[in-house]
Amino acid sequence: MVAGPTLTTPGVARPVDAQVTHQPLLMVDSDPGQPVMAVGIYSLDAAFMASVGRYVQGGGLLQSVLRIAVGQTGALIGDSLPDVFGRYQVLEDAIRFIPHFPFERGLSYRASFDPRPFSCPELSQVLTLEFSLPKDQDALPTEVTRVFPSSDYLPENVLRFYVHFSNSMERGRVEAEVSILGPDGEPAPDVLYRAPVELWDGSMKCLTILLDPGRLKRGVGPNRELGPPLKVGQEYTLAIGSGMIDLSGRRLHNTFHKRFRVTEAIREHIAVDRWEIVTPVIGSREPLVLTFPSPLDWALLSHTITIVAADEGLIEGRTVIDQGERRWSFTPALPWAAGSYHIRVASTLEDVCGNSVLAAFDRPLRPGRDLAYEVANRSISFQLA
Amino acid sequence: MKTTSAFGTHARRDVLRVAAVSAAGLALSGLNPAVSQSAFAAGGRSGPLQSAGVLAFGPDNVLFVGDIRGAAIHAFALRTTDLTSQADVELGNFHNFEGRDLVRGLDQKLAALFGTTYDKIVVNDMVVHQPSQQIFISVERGRSTDALPAIVKVNHGRLEVLELDGIPHSQAGIPNEPDPKAMLEFDTQRSFAITDVKYYNGEIFVTGVSNQRFASTLHRIPYPFKAQMETCTVEIWHPVHGEFETRAPIIRQLIKEVEGEPHLFAVYGCTPLVRFPLAALKDGAHVRGDVIGELGYGSNPIDMLTFTDPFDHKEYLLVTIDVRSASRIAVSDLGTATPEPTGGPIDFGPGGLGKTQGLLPIKAEHTEILNPKWAVVIQRHPKTGYRLDISSLAAPYFFERRDGMSEMNWPDGPDPFQYRQHRDEISRGG
Repeated sequence: MVAGPTLTTPGVARPVDAQVTHQPLLMVDSDPGQPVMAVGIYSLDAAFMASVGRYVQGGGLLQSVLRIAVGQTGALIGDSLPDVFGRYQVLEDAIRFIPHFPFERGLSYRASFDPRPFSCPELSQVLTLEFSLPKDQDALPTEVTRVFPSSDYLPENVLRFYVHFSNSMERGRVEAEVSILGPDGEPAPDVLYRAPVELWDGSMKCLTILLDPGRLKRGVGPNRELGPPLKVGQEYTLAIGSGMIDLSGRRLHNTFHKRFRVTEAIREHIAVDRWEIVTPVIGSREPLVLTFPSPLDWALLSHTITIVAADEGLIEGRTVIDQGERRWSFTPALPWAAGSYHIRVASTLEDVCGNSVLAAFDRPLRPGRDLAYEVANRSISFQLA
Repeated sequence: MKTTSAFGTHARRDVLRVAAVSAAGLALSGLNPAVSQSAFAAGGRSGPLQSAGVLAFGPDNVLFVGDIRGAAIHAFALRTTDLTSQADVELGNFHNFEGRDLVRGLDQKLAALFGTTYDKIVVNDMVVHQPSQQIFISVERGRSTDALPAIVKVNHGRLEVLELDGIPHSQAGIPNEPDPKAMLEFDTQRSFAITDVKYYNGEIFVTGVSNQRFASTLHRIPYPFKAQMETCTVEIWHPVHGEFETRAPIIRQLIKEVEGEPHLFAVYGCTPLVRFPLAALKDGAHVRGDVIGELGYGSNPIDMLTFTDPFDHKEYLLVTIDVRSASRIAVSDLGTATPEPTGGPIDFGPGGLGKTQGLLPIKAEHTEILNPKWAVVIQRHPKTGYRLDISSLAAPYFFERRDGMSEMNWPDGPDPFQYRQHRDEISRGG
């Protein structure tokens, strides 16, 4: 529920001169058809509106008559700051200002109406109004809900983590708040990649964290100089600091830690032919189950494997990924019919180390310059009879 | 939803009255200039933009805007009324490398303009419209799903919102892999963080970073955009030390003719500089480029541009880098540079063309070339740090005398850059 505006000074500003028959009112309102809160000066008489018309036609700017500014800017520069930008409406007995972007909740604004440019002797008093819109009620505190890879054992060359939050987050805090703690509990230096743009999904609830590829890739300078970011056999912690800020401006409820132990590196392509397949029974809605020898990338796994029938028609169903991203189960929407099926695996599928179906993350150099078009998807066939 | 409760019955009546007369108000033709004095028609706050990221100008005043949230590149064909010549703006004293602040407190002024506080302002990119020398910046108010985008231009030191409604517009979606209709217990939204867009000869080139694949995907899209989009997606590898090859997202790119052929030069995170012949970048191709330089590890490129040195009249590539000095490399060397790796020992730090790069003390968050003598930068004020400024910076050293080298103005003071000698050259050259 959205409450009405809170006014830090009387809600309606009007001139003190009781002689004026029309009393202009400076107030916050909202056009019923529009969600944008506007500020208007109302109850202007016909003679005054006529002078407004002449003023505008003569090139006068309403920006210098009805002005809205942020109350507390925190500004530290000597220069004067511009007013809030927006558009003006001239109505029969009113002038309205509609901000370009909606007024922000929780921030105070100052509106002022200065009628002096119109040279109306009966209306010369500057009216001001301070207002703010209340912030929405805070929902539940925000926390980290899941991290992938979910296993407590990760290969030495693990490339990425997906961190899920219970609410949408603000960008701009990742470099300061996300770290890998070494076996000594101190942040391990130069382990994470500083992406040029923080990698969030559209909902801003899922953050992608990469380890420094320069230290993961064999032969690249940082790898030769500093070695891999993680050491086999050691225990590390992915730490998400409570200074991460959510959409409503709040810090995380708690600092989040994911501890994991480092296992041997994986430096080979995903061998589809080594997957275990458990096929379902005809007529049932049992899942088709694939089990992988090592964990695959959680996000890619969810959309790179599809099941098609012999006629290439896509089988619709529901996918579940579990067992530390080592198992993929597919439950069809309709019972399995007899026939042959293909499990299509897109060439873009990667494991947790960035090794794809085609090649390792850092593959041996291929000869030549124009390389083969390696886009063919892998396919596994099975028969239900 | 009730929005007028605080005003009581009086206000409710007024609001209803406003609604009743609004049609009449808009019909007062003599007063319509009031509406055109300012921004948008109702509802179109940011025009077609869902976010405002990287910027580039194409021919005919077309402004390209990378829109990460909308997964698109927008093309706004600016009209002459959208542009104001800035040729008469005082940029500083070129003879002693003394620039000017063109906008002081950029973030604070943007916050005031958009009705917020400066911590909510994000400046994503800056571009200069060369014919008018007008500066355009992409801005967002807010840092989350509520972020609102805008394009702002600088007109003689004042910030003006570019009113997008009414500007001829077209857009191209950034193709993603087709999404199978998998039903998941939760959402895995893919996003492609567009890191650069460049126009060259009837096409735009778009690079970016995926939140899911660590790929080097380059999109090549013809402009003007057609209803039936023909886009080309290229996967790009680069060799590592003669033993391995690998893929990585391109952060910044530049297309330049060298040795008579157009080439794409790409800088990756951790800053290898890689060269590709444009002709090799065909749809669906997997291409391996030549690593011709290593600009230093542990850093990210910020901007990649070329400029002509006003003293030696040679063209240079400039790559600004976040945690170290900017790199300056002669464009003539880009085509002839021998590809790395050499098979020998690799230094921790600049290699290849990186070894011969000139280092320039640019600490700006964004850098663009304004005209043959001046660049323009968006930077934290060097002494206070609390405010963001737009300032001019003299080429070719991109060195600001005001930042603490004032003894160079003394008659017998140090002259480490021989600027007095250059001043003579400039004077002779008119």
